[in-house]
Amino acid sequence: MTAAQPALHVVGTSAPRKDALEKVTGRAVYSTDIVLPGMLHAKVLRSARAHARIVSIDTQAARQLPGVHAVVTGADLPSHVMPFYGYFIKDQPIVALDKVRYVGDIVCAVAADSEATAIAALRLVRVHYADLPVAASIERALADDACALFDEAPMGMVPGYGVGASAQLRPRKNVCYQFNYRTGDAAAFAGCDHVFEDEFRFSRMTHYHLEPFVSVADVRGDAIGLWTSCQNPFPLRKELARMFKIPENRITVQVPFVGGGFGAKNNVKTEAISVLLSMLTERPVRFCLTMEEGFLTNTQHAAILRLKTGVMADGRLVARQSEILLDAGAYSDGSPLVAEKAGYRIPGPYRWEHLDTTCQCVMTNTAPAGPFRGFGGTQSSWASESQIDMIARRLGMEPYALRMRNLLRLGDAFVPGESGIDSDLREGLDVVCKEIGYHQRQYDNSGTVRRGMGIAIGFKDGGGVNKPAQARVKVSTSGDVFLQCGTIEIGQGARTALSQITAEILGVPLDKVAYAPINTDYLPFDQGTNASSGIVVMGQAVAKAAHGVRNQILAFAAEQLGVAAAELQMGNGLVIHAGKPHPLAPMVMRHYGGTGFEFSADGFFKAPSDHRAPLEAPCVFWEIGWGAAEVAVDTATGQVTVLKLVASSDAGRAINPAMLKGQEDGAAIMGLAQTLFEHMIYDESGRLSNADPLTYRVPLAEDLPREFVTITQEQGHGPGPFGAKGGGEGTILPIASAVANAIHDAIGVRITRLPITPVRILEALMTNPETNQESAP
Amino acid sequence: MSDPAALVNGVSEYPVRVTLNGVVRTITVPVERTAADLLRDDLRMTGTRVGCSRGVCGACVVLVDGVPAAACSMFAFQLDGCSVQTIEGLAQGGRLHPVQQAFVDQGAFQCGYCTSGMVLLTKALLEHHPRPDRATIVEWISSNVCRCTGYAQIIAAVEQAALRLAGGDDA
Repeated sequence: MTAAQPALHVVGTSAPRKDALEKVTGRAVYSTDIVLPGMLHAKVLRSARAHARIVSIDTQAARQLPGVHAVVTGADLPSHVMPFYGYFIKDQPIVALDKVRYVGDIVCAVAADSEATAIAALRLVRVHYADLPVAASIERALADDACALFDEAPMGMVPGYGVGASAQLRPRKNVCYQFNYRTGDAAAFAGCDHVFEDEFRFSRMTHYHLEPFVSVADVRGDAIGLWTSCQNPFPLRKELARMFKIPENRITVQVPFVGGGFGAKNNVKTEAISVLLSMLTERPVRFCLTMEEGFLTNTQHAAILRLKTGVMADGRLVARQSEILLDAGAYSDGSPLVAEKAGYRIPGPYRWEHLDTTCQCVMTNTAPAGPFRGFGGTQSSWASESQIDMIARRLGMEPYALRMRNLLRLGDAFVPGESGIDSDLREGLDVVCKEIGYHQRQYDNSGTVRRGMGIAIGFKDGGGVNKPAQARVKVSTSGDVFLQCGTIEIGQGARTALSQITAEILGVPLDKVAYAPINTDYLPFDQGTNASSGIVVMGQAVAKAAHGVRNQILAFAAEQLGVAAAELQMGNGLVIHAGKPHPLAPMVMRHYGGTGFEFSADGFFKAPSDHRAPLEAPCVFWEIGWGAAEVAVDTATGQVTVLKLVASSDAGRAINPAMLKGQEDGAAIMGLAQTLFEHMIYDESGRLSNADPLTYRVPLAEDLPREFVTITQEQGHGPGPFGAKGGGEGTILPIASAVANAIHDAIGVRITRLPITPVRILEALMTNPETNQESAP
Repeated sequence: MSDPAALVNGVSEYPVRVTLNGVVRTITVPVERTAADLLRDDLRMTGTRVGCSRGVCGACVVLVDGVPAAACSMFAFQLDGCSVQTIEGLAQGGRLHPVQQAFVDQGAFQCGYCTSGMVLLTKALLEHHPRPDRATIVEWISSNVCRCTGYAQIIAAVEQAALRLAGGDDA
């Protein structure tokens, strides 16, 4: 279903990507390819201890190695440098100062003529540690006798929250941040016919972006030049300005193509060290991590989610209380933001009388966790959609019926003060149910291999909170269009899709629009390429800029032609009056002379702040992922085979359907990998036992389900340009719970921990053969 | 390919005679130089991407005598006497190779970092199996990682390229 729209020429077509030729010929330039004259190479020594005090570091021999230009430990940091960085909480040092907090923590950095020399120098560094007790899991870190990772609370801030929401820094030992949301009356539980309490465990993946974390810094006097594989160059610039006490207008961040990020490449990663070493050596410095180091740099959040849900006998959902514990790792990174989202999204897309949610970031002696596709929504959708299914079965209801009874309707506020839901959730659920044949399922499950189907609805607010975006569109005398905005081409197709929006509004062919290279000196400000915000937040800024420049051109042409602007149109790069085309160039040259002129307009978008909204600004759009899975479970071996996987999102209107499908596919398969096998395995000593590409398993083509269908709905209710919504995260959200629900349907046992391995299936079959057991109210 | 064991102790450089994208070149390389570093750092042919550096992800795949090989995990001297094809040598006279064109048509990449390796892998696949069935495609493609696409569009691109190269579709 699509809302009535004027005929579109560029938007809605699967135009080839604007970066296609460069990428398919190998000519695309990534940060890994940047080489500057006289460039040095950085490498770092990483702690092999999970938690220890640094007693001493001897770098003498390393400094004397020929080819070594700088060696930096915590003791060597220049006094004017602020050594800590982080999003809300500044707790991560450039190099360790007094202690190491996880295996992989950076102890010493070297700049040398080559990476090999830098590595040789690091082998000569002697570190004397005094071990401390290790807390490598949420449970260990919260134990009364746990050793604190931080003796004192690091510097941090809590953003402003609206009605019902609040947060605290360090509410207790080893918790750096707690988000709370509350609405309605807790007495609602007392009136419920049933109250169910369940606990869920969520695993942790690494982003596994193929292009490593890499940056090249060139510090000259008081100016920093930086090329980096980064999702948010403007906030990065601000953070570096603060740390190195250099004005923002002396820092130039350039971002070539980014070879994948999935959330990891936000904020400082390699950049503080490359900048510092360039500053000290007065040479350009390249710092490129290995994939193994990438595993230790940023991860998804493992989590424990405890839900208490009150319902009526007829299936009406009434109240939910939840406690979410995120494993933040050793430094806060983006954890407070993820906590905010996991805590806020745990109700799912249902109507409730009362909600009381908390989400805590638990510091552990493991790699820092941060933004990861889904951003807390994956964790909360896993727990919520699993429990919804469990409750339905306990009540003897069809899980589909329980969902249909409670889903929010189109336009309903998610919670008081929030924006309205911009998808018809029932319509979407029916799309995946129909595709998989959910209502027709009927199996002979008398054998050892049993079949089942499950459905789930993943849910998150999209577009970021309080996220502004600015864009500029320029049109030259000859009608060539320049699009300038800070959205990074990270694979999602931003260059193409935002150019399509611009081309559509200006009435020019897509190839008339050029997307400017990312350089923070020239581009209008953008907060970052994340939160599925490219189309709905930046897209609105781009659309406003394009309309602005269009209006300028039409006003100019109206004056030149002596007609009213309202009588003019733009099409195929020409101004059209009464069906007659008027090329722009002669009019411009006649009026301006010289070498011509450029029309230019800026656009800005930000959801307006509103204290009635719990997160201080209403959600820009709602990102929904409907999932359905059909599985076969071998009860003898525990093997789960996904026979069919259906994932669907609502694009509102797809700007480029083929590109969007690629993202929906990729997100769903990432979710399926997490469901069945992909995870980081930490042991109690804080060692990551699959910390290398050979033993850390990511999905390959052979891991595709036998049948795999993604469906892009275009319901037409999106707030973005041409009715668009954001995309790229929705379909990771429902996969794990849809598969777990299907397994329950097949074998009558519930798996509450990811990944769902054969061992866990067999354990569940042995210990929990009873299925529809109801918990005490 | 040269046998590493044949190198005597004390040799620090080795002259490599390689046919690179059809052009014969002789390059003296340090013995510890990897093929990927030779291509990327010495020859500045950065179309060969390095992802994991462990021969696992396949981003750095080049064709050595027509066989896909992880350039990150080969020594440069092993290329002596070999014919090497990299992504830079695939398009001819400004015209994309049918495999490249299929990747463009099917939207078989996003970030593009795996694309060079995937395209070359596909070229080799279709030379070995001009009319591959789906299982064969999946088996071959499973030697490389794409973190973005979920593979469906890559498989579609391989199928399209197979059709075109086999003359079954000259669209």
